[in-house]
Amino acid sequence: MNDSSLRIMNKSFNILDKRRATLLKDERTINLKERVKKIRKNSVKHLSSLLEIAQENLQSNGIEVVMAKDAHEAREVIYQLVKNEDMVAKSKSNTAGEIQLTEYLESKKVNVLETDLGDRIVQFDESHPTHPIGPACHLDMARIAEIVSSKLQKDVKAEPRAILDSVKKDITGKIPNCNIGITGANAVAAEDGSLLMVHNEGNISLLTMMDTHIVIVGIDKLVPTLEDAVSVVKLETIYATGKTVPAYMNIVSSPSKTADIEQILLKDMYGAKRVILVLLDNGRSRALQENEECLWCIGCGACIVNCPVYTTLGPEFGYLRHLGGRGIVLSKYIDNDEVCFDSGLYKCTLCGQCTNECPVEIPTNQMLEDLRKESVKKGLYTQKHQEIKNNLKKTRSPFKKELN
Amino acid sequence: MIYFRGCLSREKLKEIPRATEKLLEIARIDYRVLEDEGCCGSVLLRTGFMDDALEIMEDTYEDVKGERVLVSCAGCYMTFKEDYPVLLGKKVDVIHTSHLFWELLKNDKISPSLDLDAVTYHDPCHLGRHMGEYETPRQVIKYLSKIIEMDSNRANSRCCGAGGGVRSGFPDLSSEIARMRVEDAVKTGARHLVTCCPFCIHNLKSAQESHGTREDRNDEDMDILDLSQFLLLGLKKEVKQ
Repeated sequence: MNDSSLRIMNKSFNILDKRRATLLKDERTINLKERVKKIRKNSVKHLSSLLEIAQENLQSNGIEVVMAKDAHEAREVIYQLVKNEDMVAKSKSNTAGEIQLTEYLESKKVNVLETDLGDRIVQFDESHPTHPIGPACHLDMARIAEIVSSKLQKDVKAEPRAILDSVKKDITGKIPNCNIGITGANAVAAEDGSLLMVHNEGNISLLTMMDTHIVIVGIDKLVPTLEDAVSVVKLETIYATGKTVPAYMNIVSSPSKTADIEQILLKDMYGAKRVILVLLDNGRSRALQENEECLWCIGCGACIVNCPVYTTLGPEFGYLRHLGGRGIVLSKYIDNDEVCFDSGLYKCTLCGQCTNECPVEIPTNQMLEDLRKESVKKGLYTQKHQEIKNNLKKTRSPFKKELN
Repeated sequence: MIYFRGCLSREKLKEIPRATEKLLEIARIDYRVLEDEGCCGSVLLRTGFMDDALEIMEDTYEDVKGERVLVSCAGCYMTFKEDYPVLLGKKVDVIHTSHLFWELLKNDKISPSLDLDAVTYHDPCHLGRHMGEYETPRQVIKYLSKIIEMDSNRANSRCCGAGGGVRSGFPDLSSEIARMRVEDAVKTGARHLVTCCPFCIHNLKSAQESHGTREDRNDEDMDILDLSQFLLLGLKKEVKQ
């Protein structure tokens, strides 16, 4: 990432950090944090049984559930559902980013309409999102106006309202042509068979009203109840944005239905005719066995805002949409050891700031230190570190090559 | 007591053991340094060379067992204190220089003057966030001077960029992080940056030198010192009076 993008990203991060400061010290936030920590740790610990409960309850609610073991399977399942469409509408989803869904569908000639403003700008710019909730925070207003002007082939003023209006007009003009909406979900309530989605713009509400609503979610997003799910997303919102609640929380537990005529169940009133949930494993079962802590994540992005390495390198420190050190841990399980090494396994200073910032205290530096041990066993380390090791063994000093 | 200087102080930042040994002499502390001082194992542990680290740690343990060990380096401190018991099953009676200095001040073994300029303090990750030791070095500093805290301090302290093998493996990245930390320090207006870890000092100093002297900055004026050097400054003032 270039210096100017980094500077703008860090400026956005600083504003966010200041906005959150008082709220993070609030007693209610601290209590919520303790509750969510327990919910997440417990959910991950009992993930396999939660998964069975979730499948049963979602299906009995009328949601179609598909298990996808990896990115390839998930993309294929979704492609089969959308292949007859010219365009599908999509909301921001880090899980969709993880399987590179947009790139895949577009390579198969299905256009993807990103409906989140930040995501749409990043899609126009063909750059990488820099924060899980604020994907465009590396772009300043002048640059955004340039990007939008060139993409929409009109003169858009470098002024926030003008940019918003132009992008909104473009998106709302295209939405009536879309029959399928693709979203992620922030939490899945297993016992209730419900999907919880959080947004500020209102775009997800529009997508849930399309004929088919496809939801892609990692199996790590499961929690027992809807009350737990709401706690998780409230905390996520606080840590990600500095606000106590998002503008919208949509809960989807079934396709649209009514029983207003003699209690006879009729489907297909206003909302989706079909709701299809793609539950993605993609290495999470392996992560569960070897480093379950990396699955506690609630997706708030607090770990990167003050990370010395992320604020210096940007999204190249991390893996796809899993930004920062935790993303590097996950990359080992989603992909392999080489990808983990290339994602920045050795670029972390192990300072522990991310754990300090993380609302559920994921011990990322400890996980990375442990992964380095495995990496060395597989022959993946830096040459410089090998040199130091050799020096130490020969001379008891990291700096001296030969004994005097 | 063994004074285990640690690799970086022993071989590159010799002013740290010089100041520390001077203080030990002034306080009439009986100590020795090891003739062929080895390695605590930290650099190998953090970069994943587990088997080699264990070998070296066993070796070093033989040199230090049964004695009190004084260290200047936050990395040595954490490794002896945390990793030796867990990985080798062997306890080392280790203290950091900041602990010793505080003891000496409390017990009037050394009595410096009280009028040094205000300083800012950088928490080394291995001493602060990892070992929870935020206050002892501050107490030592407050004995001689005032502390102007940086915006990020204690548990939230920004890393100097040297840790985890990043300085050796990715020097540009490491130096850029150090530059940000030096800027944090410059913003306080303090003339001295004091810290307790040779790796932090080495990295912050080299960032200061390489990014150096932009017109709107005055970081070339800022002295980056180990706690031992700072304490000795306080003593020297008194000697002069």
